[in-house]
Amino acid sequence: MTRMKLITAACWAMFALFAIGTLISPGFAPALAQDKPPLIVGAIYVGSVNDYGYNRSMKDGLEEMKKNIPGLKLIEAENVPESAESERVMEGMIQQGAKLIFATSFGHQQFAFNLAKAHPDVYFEHAGGWMQAPNFGNYFGATQSAWYPMGVAAGKMTKSNTLGFVVGVPIGYAIGNVNAFEMGARSVNPKAETRVVVTGGWSDKAKEATAANALIDQGADVVTMHVDSPATIIQAAESRGKYSIGFQSIEARAWAPKGWITGLGFTWGPFMTDTAKSVIAGTFHPAMVRQGLGQGMMAIAPFGSEVPADVQSLVLAAGDKVGKGFNPFTGPVTDNTGAVKIAAGDSWGGDKMGNFDWYVEGVIGKAK
Amino acid sequence: MMNTALIVGLISGAILSGTSLLYATLGEIFGERSGIVNLGLEGIMLIGAASGFAATALTGSPYLGIIAAAFAGTAANLIFAYVVISRNANQLAAGLSLMFFGIGLSTLIGQPFVGSLITGLPRLALPDFEAASIGARILSYDLLVYLAVPVAIAAWWLLFRTRWGLQLRTVGESPAAAFAAGAQPWRLQYQALAIAGALGGIAGAHMSIALTLTWADGMTAGRGFIAIALVIFAKWNPLWAIAGALLFGAAEGLQLQLQAAGADVSPFIMNMTPYLLTLAVLILWGWRRQFAAPAALGRNFAGVE
Repeated sequence: MTRMKLITAACWAMFALFAIGTLISPGFAPALAQDKPPLIVGAIYVGSVNDYGYNRSMKDGLEEMKKNIPGLKLIEAENVPESAESERVMEGMIQQGAKLIFATSFGHQQFAFNLAKAHPDVYFEHAGGWMQAPNFGNYFGATQSAWYPMGVAAGKMTKSNTLGFVVGVPIGYAIGNVNAFEMGARSVNPKAETRVVVTGGWSDKAKEATAANALIDQGADVVTMHVDSPATIIQAAESRGKYSIGFQSIEARAWAPKGWITGLGFTWGPFMTDTAKSVIAGTFHPAMVRQGLGQGMMAIAPFGSEVPADVQSLVLAAGDKVGKGFNPFTGPVTDNTGAVKIAAGDSWGGDKMGNFDWYVEGVIGKAK
Repeated sequence: MMNTALIVGLISGAILSGTSLLYATLGEIFGERSGIVNLGLEGIMLIGAASGFAATALTGSPYLGIIAAAFAGTAANLIFAYVVISRNANQLAAGLSLMFFGIGLSTLIGQPFVGSLITGLPRLALPDFEAASIGARILSYDLLVYLAVPVAIAAWWLLFRTRWGLQLRTVGESPAAAFAAGAQPWRLQYQALAIAGALGGIAGAHMSIALTLTWADGMTAGRGFIAIALVIFAKWNPLWAIAGALLFGAAEGLQLQLQAAGADVSPFIMNMTPYLLTLAVLILWGWRRQFAAPAALGRNFAGVE
């Protein structure tokens, strides 16, 4: 009898797992089109593409690529976990004829790389990683310096001189974003301070709501974030009559019709188009591509209705400056304990952006 | 370090995030009082969160969203009830598969609504408070928050002051004795699990349509399991569950509030505080729990000859 029960329970478990597996697997997608397309591109996303966040920005870029290359076929899979499951999903895409695959989440890197070795005739582009092979390149936005103009916007709009920044996981890149933001704010408002709250996950919505409210309780009147989807934090700020600055997709404005200042978004379209063309032409060249404002991969979102024209032009000017090569991390830079971290005459370039384990002067928070 | 904003934030954060924990805990108490442990609560909450958000996005009414979440939670929990009550399946295995089922189903339901803009459950405005005042922050909440404590008291009354509650608890202690006394164990268990499903669904809906105003896959982030631990903390008593939910709600918010207040502590250490508190509470309370647990918890009742 007990065995019977276990078997029944196991059957239920298998049923549930299969149901989930079938629904999210790319094999569920319809078969190939009749006309042979110039290129079949596969893309995997870690979440849903409707999130007005990171995944949406990737989707927008791929759609732009598809529009730019007539006949190109795109196979997509959403909610692909950062596990060996992703390898199976991409393998399925290769079997459907994909010759170029965009693995769009950081944790997909190793699995995409394994496949790259097994399929030398298939090209891979991974977002945010560092691995290299003749058929494996990677790309990402140079986000840190692009946060500088966001800080300019926040520093001009704040009345309390307190800015709030919700960080998912305090990796070096995220800390660098906070640092550039505060430096931008200080460049126009020497009294501006940035308070940081780390939630411990990229998508823990309840903690994001609590964190945003806590920052507002502590006096922040501009709130921004580095998490997967800005939805919860922007709405929390809006409901309490505070300003917000978005990150990831430039479309997040819809959540804050009153308090939206501006935002920083990824624009992957041009790079993805060029990559697809290089695969078709047989000239694919693997590289570690990092582009910031003015270089193609990052853009400043449209301004909200409450942002005065002079502030807008200051922000755009700061964006131009960054696009022309201005690096905020040029010494001397001191951390928030007063220690000099980047000496005068020295500067931190793109290769060091993962190294931040300290916050600049003016940031209230501990990095480690 | 201790400032007014910190205290205000802590209280209102505890109430806001404690609310969904309380609904979920109350639901689990009903089930466990009838002798059924449901490890699938996390899945029920996710189904509630997704269907509540979807219904709100479709109809524009958060109240219809709550009703939809309660129905969806009930429906999913009745599948579990059928498996463990009528088919006598192992409760732990069935509960875990219910959780996986809930994760998958909620992803499916929520998929088209990711990124949807909804009108959330409104905060009931109290007179004489400015929106930005401390009073409004501590005392102005949505309907589900105000209903949480009355629902807990009603649950206590149902379990401990009605004939139905007495029979239900008897089933949890000894189904054979309850059966001999003329009660119908299976029927009572179905009823308890239907209530549990509705409360679990509402718990999830509070997260998606009142607290975060968004749907994200797996957004309950383990709170279903915290609620199961809270049942033990509350000694299967709905009134103790109120205190437990507030305490755990505060613990979740405490580290975030401390960071915002600029406390000089590493965020990595602060991220551990809720779990340290859980351990401390279980150690301090654990020694009494063997007296409180329903005697037949987790065992299936196959009937009497």
